[in-house]
Amino acid sequence: MAGQVGPGSRSGLRSAAPLLLPAYLWLTVAIFLPLSAMVFFSFMTDLPLSGKPWSFTLGNYATFFSQGLYATLLLASLRLGLEVTLWCVVIGYPAAYVLAKVLKGRSREAIFLLVILPFWSNGLVRIFSWAMVLREGGILDSVLNAVLPFRISIDLMYSYPAVIIGLVHSYVPYMVLTCFLTIQAIDDSLIEAGRSLGASRLQILKRVIIPLSMPGLIAGSALIFVPVVGSFMEPRILGGRTGTFYGTVIEDQFVAVFNWPLGAALSFILLAVVLIILAAVSPVLRRAA
Amino acid sequence: MAEVQVAGVSRSFGATKALDDVSIAFPDGGFYGLLGPSGSGKTTLLRMVAGFDFPDSGSIVIGGEGVERVPVEKRRIGMVFQNYALFPNMSVADNVAFGLSVRGEAKADIAREVQRALDLVQLGKLGARRPHQLSGGQRQRVALARAIVTKPRVLLLDEPLSALDKALRVDMQVELKRIQREVGITTIFVTHDQEEALTMADRIGILRDGRLVQEGPPEEIYDRPQSEFAATFLGDANILRGEATESGIRLADGTAIAATAGPKAGPGGKASCAVRPERIRIVSAADAAPSDGNMLRGRVSKRIFAGNSSTYFVDRSGETVKVLVRNDGSRKLSEGQDVVLCWSVESTILIQGL
Amino acid sequence: MALTRVLEWLGRIYIWLLLAFLYLPIVIMALMSFNVSPFYQLPFEWTTRWYVALMGNDQLITATWNSIRIAVITTLISTVLGTAASLALYRYEFRGKKFLQALLFPPIAIPWLITGTAMLIFFFAIGIGRGLHAILLGHVALALPYVIVVVSARLQTFAPELEEAARSLGANQWQVTRRVTLPWIMPGVIAGGLFAFAVSFDQFVVSYFLSTPGQTTLPVEIYAAIRKGFTPEINAVSTVIIVVSMALMLLTARYFKFGGEK
Repeated sequence: MAGQVGPGSRSGLRSAAPLLLPAYLWLTVAIFLPLSAMVFFSFMTDLPLSGKPWSFTLGNYATFFSQGLYATLLLASLRLGLEVTLWCVVIGYPAAYVLAKVLKGRSREAIFLLVILPFWSNGLVRIFSWAMVLREGGILDSVLNAVLPFRISIDLMYSYPAVIIGLVHSYVPYMVLTCFLTIQAIDDSLIEAGRSLGASRLQILKRVIIPLSMPGLIAGSALIFVPVVGSFMEPRILGGRTGTFYGTVIEDQFVAVFNWPLGAALSFILLAVVLIILAAVSPVLRRAA
Repeated sequence: MAEVQVAGVSRSFGATKALDDVSIAFPDGGFYGLLGPSGSGKTTLLRMVAGFDFPDSGSIVIGGEGVERVPVEKRRIGMVFQNYALFPNMSVADNVAFGLSVRGEAKADIAREVQRALDLVQLGKLGARRPHQLSGGQRQRVALARAIVTKPRVLLLDEPLSALDKALRVDMQVELKRIQREVGITTIFVTHDQEEALTMADRIGILRDGRLVQEGPPEEIYDRPQSEFAATFLGDANILRGEATESGIRLADGTAIAATAGPKAGPGGKASCAVRPERIRIVSAADAAPSDGNMLRGRVSKRIFAGNSSTYFVDRSGETVKVLVRNDGSRKLSEGQDVVLCWSVESTILIQGL
Repeated sequence: MALTRVLEWLGRIYIWLLLAFLYLPIVIMALMSFNVSPFYQLPFEWTTRWYVALMGNDQLITATWNSIRIAVITTLISTVLGTAASLALYRYEFRGKKFLQALLFPPIAIPWLITGTAMLIFFFAIGIGRGLHAILLGHVALALPYVIVVVSARLQTFAPELEEAARSLGANQWQVTRRVTLPWIMPGVIAGGLFAFAVSFDQFVVSYFLSTPGQTTLPVEIYAAIRKGFTPEINAVSTVIIVVSMALMLLTARYFKFGGEK
């Protein structure tokens, strides 16, 4: 698969370096250094260039542990991540199965494209479009009132369910995609073998298809859980006052309160949680790859 | 075990007729081979007996029960797939146990049956392994154990040996036959390899373009092919064509060929006969002695050496005759040499059609 | 079998329901952008006045222009850098290669909130500050891993014997790249470029933290406007970018198809 190999590994590196350097240098300056800087600054009272006197402290982290608020919000964000992921599994897995095993040929390609398409459009705009549907006097309200004999007022805006709906809408294509790839790889002859041995449809689903599509389910869950835990835009727009989560609090530190070191500390705690989850999941993914 | 019968089975996919009025009686407890080139319909027929597909017309009877509309889960058959289709997420033992566990049998009984099946295919110690840890031959035996442990009425094998390399294939042919005889289940296998069919089957059915061309015990088909296709597909054959006579045929150049085997057409009209390459004796023209039997003169155009045998290609009248001789030390003939071919009248088989 | 047929139809209906769920809000938003009511109320009355108003909204127009400019430059830079890196990873073996490949995951896997705020802190500390240049810096970094993944996937389908044959005929490394390798991987490069454009154009979080008044991108402007209160011009411009993004994705899918793998 790889092309030429030099007589020693060093020679390979020497030829590869000029091609690799620009990209990785950019990544270092824009991502790896900033992440390190964030850790560094989380141990300060103020930023060095802000003109205020600064010193090292553990105070920011102490704040997280002493004020129950932050821990509560972190848990709320984790719970949000879990709920959204679960909904995406319930909604996305059957869709992936239909796409992989029921639809065939041109129609399958076309519908797959249609499912993935919104995923690549602007996430912010998609959330905004839900605002239009869910608010009082909005579309959902009007349509339901036109259909039902009694008057009800649907005001889902600025509520927890609205945030869930918006997030599921944004992320379910991830789950469909990863599950589709794994289910499609399941050889049809395995299903036929199960049938030839007398298993019912349900038994084959439970004992053959779901176990073999686990890598897709886990990959999709990781891809959804991690961003949702750190989300702030969706809760702000759809959740209003009830939309306070760990992500929004971090956002506040940087755009409203201007307590950057605290924001950095809170961010780092989130990063630690995220990395732990990814580390736990990666052996499963690597085995499947 | 049970007798299986298909009668008048036809199946079309769009404009293509995959099976055309095929009728076969598969004897109870026998080892039946469906042989044919790709596209002949043999796999379609097998899948129809299994229940993955249903005939457009005709009947399929297993053990006296008409099953044309019964889905595969309920037919109590056992099938070995071409690529074995072992469940990668289960161990060997769990794979073999699958058919029993979906029936809700007791764990202890299942374990016992599984071990017995694995011992039968000589994999008794490998129950805990996973499919990806096994060799091709081992996987095939697991697939076999899995199929027979449920005591199906019919065992179906889809090109069972095609994925194995040559040496292993020969061994497995013997193995399969042994296991089948021990278990005694009516077995139908599909292959495009005529050597496999000859070695393993009690009876062979040759299919071509969806039609049954000939069926019967291997030796019968080999010694008495009823068509040019059967003659050349099962084994090798030289086909001589000409005009029908009372005693055989007359070739275009007037040579008379006598035949006793096969149906005699009336004199006049076209006819052909087949001669197996190994039945022809070849000597140099200088050494030829008169003999009873059929005789042709020709010139060696090529000789292929294959270790314990040699094949001579002999040109005569623009046609090529193949002769297969054992390398038993007698004098070799060289290219360009004039030779005389002779063979017995009994070795000449008259053939009806194409 | 009848039950199979029924289940299959249920499956198809389910897919259509899912598609309805995915597209309904977008369709409604697009429809509302043509509606007279500034509060998105029915009844529906057709108008294009919001699009007209959009033309006169300097703030939005500037932000749109910024978004496009940054996306184009991001595409160019990340495609060149990313393709070079992919070629290096494909051709050469060296110690630490696995490590470098693993390094591509953090930018994608770590939530943008964390990366964005980290960039904000770091750029401030080293004097780069905020603004369009900072946004560009961030966008290229986010797009690079995608470009590398896409181009590398395309390279997997490239037979190494082709390069070896070219070299046996006397071509040097650069000639081989230009005349043998690049033509083959071009669909992958283009797909990667389209990916990069989409990543940059639709990017909100990182742009949000790195922008300053007057130097913002379109998504950031939209967010600010939403926080202040709805204005129908937001509706109009949102419809425009949704359509553009989806069109781009369709283009990408086409090139992926020609690239051979899905």
